[in-house]
Amino acid sequence: MKRTCQILIALCLPLLFCGPVRAQHTGPYVGAFVGGDMLMTSKGSDNQGTFSLSYNPSLLGSAVLGWDFEPNNPVGEGRIELEYTHRSNQLDKVKFVQGEVKGSGNVIADSLLVNFFGVFHDRGPWAPYVGVGVGAARIQASDLKVTGQPLSSDSSVVLAFQAGTGIDYALNTYLNLDLGYRFFGCVPPKLAEANGSKFKMEYYSHNVILGLRVGF
Amino acid sequence: MINLVWSGLLLLLLVSGCGFNGTPTRKNDLTSLTSIKITAGTSTIAAKTSLKLTATGDFSGLFHDDISDQVVWSSDTPTVAEFITPTIPSRVTAHIPGIATLTATKGNVSATFKLTVSAATINTVTITPANPTIAKGQTSQFVATGTFSDYTTQDLTFDADWVSSDPTVATVSNDPASKGFAQAIAVGPTTITATFDGTSGTTTLTVVAAVLQSIKVTTTTPTVLSLSTASFTAVGTFSDTTTQDLTGQVAWSSSSPGVASIVAGGVATTLAQGATSISASLSGVSGSTNLVVTGGNLTGIAITEPNVTLGANGITMLANTTSRFIATGTFSTGVTRDITDAVTWTVANTSLATVTSPVGKLVFLNAGAAGPPTTTIKASFGNVSTTSNLTVTPTLQSIAMSLASLNLHVGTHARLRVIGTLGDGTTQDLSANADWTSKTLATATVENNPADPANKGRVSGVNAAATPAVITASVTVGGTTFNPLQDANVTVTNQTLQSVTISSSSAVTSGNQVSFTATANYVGFTQNVTDDTTWSIDLANVAILADAVNLPGQVVGVSGGTAILTATFGSNSQAATVRVP
Repeated sequence: MKRTCQILIALCLPLLFCGPVRAQHTGPYVGAFVGGDMLMTSKGSDNQGTFSLSYNPSLLGSAVLGWDFEPNNPVGEGRIELEYTHRSNQLDKVKFVQGEVKGSGNVIADSLLVNFFGVFHDRGPWAPYVGVGVGAARIQASDLKVTGQPLSSDSSVVLAFQAGTGIDYALNTYLNLDLGYRFFGCVPPKLAEANGSKFKMEYYSHNVILGLRVGF
Repeated sequence: MINLVWSGLLLLLLVSGCGFNGTPTRKNDLTSLTSIKITAGTSTIAAKTSLKLTATGDFSGLFHDDISDQVVWSSDTPTVAEFITPTIPSRVTAHIPGIATLTATKGNVSATFKLTVSAATINTVTITPANPTIAKGQTSQFVATGTFSDYTTQDLTFDADWVSSDPTVATVSNDPASKGFAQAIAVGPTTITATFDGTSGTTTLTVVAAVLQSIKVTTTTPTVLSLSTASFTAVGTFSDTTTQDLTGQVAWSSSSPGVASIVAGGVATTLAQGATSISASLSGVSGSTNLVVTGGNLTGIAITEPNVTLGANGITMLANTTSRFIATGTFSTGVTRDITDAVTWTVANTSLATVTSPVGKLVFLNAGAAGPPTTTIKASFGNVSTTSNLTVTPTLQSIAMSLASLNLHVGTHARLRVIGTLGDGTTQDLSANADWTSKTLATATVENNPADPANKGRVSGVNAAATPAVITASVTVGGTTFNPLQDANVTVTNQTLQSVTISSSSAVTSGNQVSFTATANYVGFTQNVTDDTTWSIDLANVAILADAVNLPGQVVGVSGGTAILTATFGSNSQAATVRVP
């Protein structure tokens, strides 16, 4: 633990030498993000009716590869990026006609999106942005159970989308801190239940992320 | 910068409402059943009777559920009691006195119930409710209760055989799924009998006339203008499913009398812009529907005489003549429209003049003999009114035709008017009082019916001719006959109709009256045929005709939407879109 802390501190040291400047990076960049993910209570539906699934919040991890547009670009100020994100939320409760009971297992989402962000550059280091993304996600019901009885262990790849907003802080021309909010959703995946029938499940999540983008 | 911030906040608000919070409809069949409990109304029944059991499942202590139809029922001593009712698997039938252990099983979970079958025999059977009266079409569930030799009582509704002495009056079901359920068919009495093991109980069921169960209120015009009327219909549905128009029998009411009032017969008069609920009630049953009133609130009224400019001192009329007058309302929304038929017309001195309203938006002021020369005429609606001085003069200076010449197509019509200059220099349309003549009847005719003053002076094209027809008119006052300086020449042609076009003077807004014109396009000749056209609108909730007979082509907007205005001239129809914003 002590060594890990030392490494983290060492990585952050260069930040002390960064002065707030206007970020005017143009060209490719990579980034890494961590954050909190709140998967909203979702509606499940099968041939017997509807039920609700509620989850615990969790952490998420994300990596991006993108391109910053040059200033005064005719397309507009902003950037385009390819984003991979991993989310995993524990199933907390499931509600049926007879009431709410305990659930277990995880719903895992691995998504690959192409994001488009419009950025407002000012003279200062802060640059708010807003944008949307579209792509695909693999939604996996990992050993989902209801009161210890199997519900589903299946996965499905579906169309995914997100809307995001946030603010960049330019540490220098090549380094940007990014604090953002993402609303992520997808087309309800169809997953197999343990009894052989299929059920549809909504997937929408609120995410707050913090990351670092490095231009090169 | 600020736009991006607001965009972000808006995005957050937009998505923050998501998340399923509806009511689940799926049952939980995943949680393990851990125990079953069997319950019943009693644990001892007489032989030959039956008992319905209930199996309640305990699911891991988290919830309970009735699983009576999911378990397998069985008896350890079928000779004493067994489950033999396929439609009701949880109903056990007792055969002979003894004890049977009944079991309900689902998967690996089961429960037992000890049933004792007694040797008691039936003494009496009683049916409840006793001697009921129900209306034709209604139903009643009878219960048979047996009193046994051991003084116990037991529900025998399922075990008895049910019969109605007169099934044409009422039927009673003997079907295992609905034993004792009676349906009233016709007025009259019938005896309901329940028999168990040779012992019967009876009751008299009396069926009376069907009772009113609901009233449906409808109208073809749920959105109307203020200062107009709307008709409502009340249809009652009775217990025997028959229906009856009760419009003339119900009591009508308006929840907002300031918006609209309603009288017997279901005719509502709209008073102001707004909404109200129109209700109809009879014998404790009621129904209602909404009425929306548009077009603004009346703020002012103006009295005008068509085709004439009133003098500074008000209206002057020649003695013993008749003229048409119009009341135009100004509304709070800034619109104006003809409200001639909505206002109350009052003449202060009826010996000087009277008001007649033959039909629609047609009002005539009839001047009597000149006497005390001045009175007043008032047009009022509620608290809004206007008053104009009315002077009756005996003096006519001259008359003139409104047009010197007129072009008409065969079969069409146009108006000529006689405008009189009175003694005080004001003018009056004397068309209704003139004596009209066509000097060339073969070419054109002119209406001159004293019983139809509104159409006097209406010229009809009869045959095409190279020479124009001559139309003349005269007015006789005090023995003196006045003729116009110049008669009207009417040229009648006969060309091929190419098309009919419709045009409007301005956009139609709610409550505003707009003129639409129909123009017949002939070869080398066009003619305004608005008066000869039959007008119709498909959606009265969007726009209406002001007065199809007396105000042809006049359209009033009612409420936002799009309607189709159709003008039919001869065999030619043309449609125009009326958009009310």
